[in-house]
Amino acid sequence: MTALTLRRPVDPGAVTVSGSRRRLIGLLLALVLLLVLLVASVLIGSTSISPAVVWKALFDPTADIDQFAIRDFRLPRTVAGLVVGIALGVAGALIQALTRNPLADPGILGLNAGASFAVSVAIALLGIRDIQSYMWFAFGGTLIVTLMVLALGSTRRGQSPVMMVLAGLCVGSVLGGAGSALELTNPDAFDAMRSWNAGSVVSRPLELIWPILPFFAIGLVLAFLVSGPLNAMALGDEVAAAQGVQLVRTRILAIIALTLLSGGATAIAGPISFIGLMVPHVARWIVGPHQRWIFAYSVLLAPSLLLVSDILGRVVMRPGELPVGIVTAFVGAPVLIALVRQKKASGL
Amino acid sequence: MTTTPLKRRGAAAAAAVLSLALVLTACGGGDDKSGAATGDKAAETRTVTAANGAVTIPAAPQRVVTIGNTDLPFIDMGGKPVGVTGVPDSDLALLPPEQRATWEKAENLGDEVDLEKVAALKPDLILVQIPDAEFKKMEKQLTTIAPTVFWGLDTEWKALAEGLGEAGNVKDALGKQKAEFEGDVAKMKQTYADVIKNTKFVNLDRYSNSDPGTYVIGDIGCVEIAQDDVGLNFPKAPAGKDPLAYESLPFEQLSKLSQYDVITYPADDKGQATQVFAPVVATNTWKALPTVTSGRALGVFCPGNNSYGAVLRYLDSLDKALATLPAKK
Repeated sequence: MTALTLRRPVDPGAVTVSGSRRRLIGLLLALVLLLVLLVASVLIGSTSISPAVVWKALFDPTADIDQFAIRDFRLPRTVAGLVVGIALGVAGALIQALTRNPLADPGILGLNAGASFAVSVAIALLGIRDIQSYMWFAFGGTLIVTLMVLALGSTRRGQSPVMMVLAGLCVGSVLGGAGSALELTNPDAFDAMRSWNAGSVVSRPLELIWPILPFFAIGLVLAFLVSGPLNAMALGDEVAAAQGVQLVRTRILAIIALTLLSGGATAIAGPISFIGLMVPHVARWIVGPHQRWIFAYSVLLAPSLLLVSDILGRVVMRPGELPVGIVTAFVGAPVLIALVRQKKASGL
Repeated sequence: MTTTPLKRRGAAAAAAVLSLALVLTACGGGDDKSGAATGDKAAETRTVTAANGAVTIPAAPQRVVTIGNTDLPFIDMGGKPVGVTGVPDSDLALLPPEQRATWEKAENLGDEVDLEKVAALKPDLILVQIPDAEFKKMEKQLTTIAPTVFWGLDTEWKALAEGLGEAGNVKDALGKQKAEFEGDVAKMKQTYADVIKNTKFVNLDRYSNSDPGTYVIGDIGCVEIAQDDVGLNFPKAPAGKDPLAYESLPFEQLSKLSQYDVITYPADDKGQATQVFAPVVATNTWKALPTVTSGRALGVFCPGNNSYGAVLRYLDSLDKALATLPAKK
């Protein structure tokens, strides 16, 4: 006789007290790491400036030429690295939870392609040259693509993750091709996009970053609000619906959050794809399949990865620099491979 | 339609200036008046030597097509081509009005050479400076259409001017330009002898494809005239190494420019920083540089560095800028 055991589905979000304490300690360590990297990002650059000058530049400013370098170049890129990293990390966690695909990143919905296409249009057709202006085109492009993906990926029964991913891939491919056509026929657009597509936090003044912060704040709040329902949805739509989760509302809120975070990050720094893929993976390995913890860890680990990449980019080719988008892949890929070889790949 | 892609002009010009190996000697001419016996002047021919060997061309070509980097220098010497290839708007904007009118009057063959269009123009001479590999692809078709004289991108600008003047039958205008150039250089050497001897210059630049927040120490382009012909002391890459301009530097490095006495940077014909370079002069670091605050940062207009006319305009701008230098303390 075969014994059949029926078990209640386990809520992946359920945590024990000891597990919670372990995660909290890990979170504090991640916070310390981030703080250290923030300080290092202001201290280290392509020129040597003493810590005393850095201190004066930040807290007792004068018109000293080295202090300008701190305030005008290092501080803004550090702030940009922090906010862009946070946004990319949480956006990556959101898209992986939403699509139940551990290999997803915001680019899978065509968001980066939408941003790139909009910037290409701004440069090639409207003659816009400065990043302060075409940043808003990137943001707008992301929003429009999101609406298109939502419309194309929706059925009468709501949004299917598979349909949305397919819609995103299609829209992304079309816009990618159209953007390439614009770039290849316009030398100015080609030059500007070559630089923008590499992904960088250099020359992003604070005045450029402040207007994006409210969008990031809304995106983060929404992300944490939907973290509980996303835990339930990881078990399947039927189970989530049985637990009272409103599937359509959760998906729409998650997509809005994803768009604000990913769109804002891409608007500031250009497409930096690897962080959104890798950091939520690492967070999931540390904390397990609990979205709120994954989001919290992503908030701290993603900017850490971006900042350490940016710092390395400043020193490996002194006196020149490498764009952070390039270094991120070099830094992140070995870490991810090492983790994959040591641990079981995490599902959702 | 048969089209053949051309290398972009900016890169081609840079490569031409950069090359260390001069494979082309200036065109040597040899009269070959095979048509003289008939009394038909149009049928008279000469032989010139270029990168594609000895070429027999009309003594007085009437319908010249210029391809690649030959069009603006040829027009600069008073040539009137019937067909030209694409020139970026930014370069066209720097041309004197009469030269621009000449360029616009010619048939535009585009960035990609339409060989059918070239043939339809019925040229009696084709002047070409493009990458060797690109020329190889179209050499046979071009030489079938008309005698074709080719220079590689490693041809130094003065040698190219000599070759164009000889082949295009505009040697008189070239001679006048050369004389003016040599006169201007001699005068500047005399006027600024002390500056040449005792001043450490650095030339900064940015390009349309420079990453945001970066600039370069410019050691290619017009600055080579100031360095090699006038004798001003600009930094230069060690022999055998890439030019300094190949390495982008972050704005943070601007603070290191205090070691130089004078900075030159790209400006328009009114002395204002070019649009591409403007982000550098907008930084607080730049504004705080002692060289800048003491009036020793000079905007210099460079309308081109591959023909005497353009170089003369550069020298004029450099002369005026140097004249504003305050006396060294």
